Amino acid sequence: MFNFITDLARYNDLMISGSLETLYMVAMSLFFAIVGGIPLGILTTITRQGHILPNKPLNFILDGIINIGRSIPFIILMVAVIPFTRMIVGTSIGTNAAVVPLSLAAIPFMGRVTDNAILEIDQGVVESAQSMGASPLQIVFKVLLPESLPAIILGLTLTAISLVSYSAMAGAVGGGGLGDIAIRYGYQRFQLAIMLETIVILVVMVQLIQFFGNQIASFFDHRA
Amino acid sequence: MIKIENLTKHYHAAQGKVEAINGLNLEVADGEIFGMIGPSGAGKSTLIRMLNLLEEPTSGTININGTDLTELSSQNLRAARQKIGMIFQHFNLLSSRTVLGNVAFPLEIAGVGKKKRRQKAKELIELVGLEDRADHYPAQLSGGQKQRVGIARALANDPDLLLSDEATSSLDPESTKSVLELLGRIRDEMNLTIILITHEMGVIKDICDRVAVLEAGEIIEEGSIIDIFSKPQKALTKKFISSVIDFDLPERIVKYVRKERPGELIRVSFVGEKTHDPYISDLVKHYSVDANILYGNIDEIQGVPFGTLVLDLEGQLTNIEESIAYLKSQDLRVEVLDNV
Repeated sequence: MFNFITDLARYNDLMISGSLETLYMVAMSLFFAIVGGIPLGILTTITRQGHILPNKPLNFILDGIINIGRSIPFIILMVAVIPFTRMIVGTSIGTNAAVVPLSLAAIPFMGRVTDNAILEIDQGVVESAQSMGASPLQIVFKVLLPESLPAIILGLTLTAISLVSYSAMAGAVGGGGLGDIAIRYGYQRFQLAIMLETIVILVVMVQLIQFFGNQIASFFDHRA
Repeated sequence: MIKIENLTKHYHAAQGKVEAINGLNLEVADGEIFGMIGPSGAGKSTLIRMLNLLEEPTSGTININGTDLTELSSQNLRAARQKIGMIFQHFNLLSSRTVLGNVAFPLEIAGVGKKKRRQKAKELIELVGLEDRADHYPAQLSGGQKQRVGIARALANDPDLLLSDEATSSLDPESTKSVLELLGRIRDEMNLTIILITHEMGVIKDICDRVAVLEAGEIIEEGSIIDIFSKPQKALTKKFISSVIDFDLPERIVKYVRKERPGELIRVSFVGEKTHDPYISDLVKHYSVDANILYGNIDEIQGVPFGTLVLDLEGQLTNIEESIAYLKSQDLRVEVLDNV
């Protein structure tokens, strides 16, 4: 029991830096998921048959990218893209290197989430904008995005939570963060206290992300 | 003026080729409220959605004030659409915007400045009587209020034409009445042309100047409201009219009259001034027939009295024939009921 308490005190700095690393990886890849995934999702939806810019070949390609990206298990993706990671970051170790595979996993995920969010919008609303003479670009920015904003925010929350768990996996292969600590100290050195503490921190992190995600989404939701 | 020529819409569905609209011709004058009625599947929704090219015609022309919409580039079509307002059965408002934001939306699309947008939107909200709801979101409004927002929004860019796609079909009778009144009022105030589709004859009776009856992608009957109501030709038209004005006799009475009193059963329709004159007593006095009134009804179609009488005429055959000729000579519509 004494061990347990001193371990916690001794590794306080480690836990703080580990948490920050995890948050950093999640935040960075979430950023790339937003700038990459949301446009990908929008393009996929609007090029569908019967939507505002139907384009069968382009839709086929985009939909394919999302499906392929989503079907590769993260642990395999992480290893498979190591040459690409080296090319971009210069190394395959560390938090920056981990952001590359995390972003590559998050972009198609966010793409599908956005696609689904936009498909939820009643086609009649899109049609009414068309009947007023709105251009496709106006429809995207004045109808599709504002109308699907609550659903997109909930999707971002979901993506962020998946990234927390993926980042732990990335930690195991040299990415740093809480996952790295849990494996090295908790698992390999049998320091149960460290293991439990990382779990508690991760659970709290996920709870907070979900809580704030819900709050922000309902702030923008005027449907009921 | 709106002129539609040879309009056709065919499309392929799972069950094969569907001919939604077949070579349809139509003219609607400025300031007119023109109604189109038909059973579901008659093609009325397809037709109204072609009038702003939400649905692309297979062939034919749609001429609005001298411009053929089907020949416009997509950019010019968008400009033309700004002058064609449209309201929908399910309102199709933006849930993320307030009433004010929704009404200002078409102005935003047209590139009107923020201050002017706000002012115009406020005027329109006042016009439809929703001043106290300007900051509410659509989810906080009743169906009738939502449709008023839809109407205000459709009027934002001062359109020449308003298309109404079953605008009252999901409203309760009270809201339907007030929305129709509003449409009539804005037509009068803004000299707007309104084309509406509906499956409810009551809507046609209440606000339309002219009506076309649609069946299987074709107009089977067309005319002014009074003409159509007083002299319907087609069975479908009669069926629609009977949904708002009942002039069928109960079968038992017909059977009884047929069996017991061999004479002639006729239905006489009166329109306008004619309802004031004493034709029946003339008939009895001058043609020595007896007239037994089996059924009578007087209604009003947009301020014009409209009456129907079913008479059982008795007397000598020649007298009956003469009396029918007399009624016809008075410009009344007389129908001999052979097999009611």
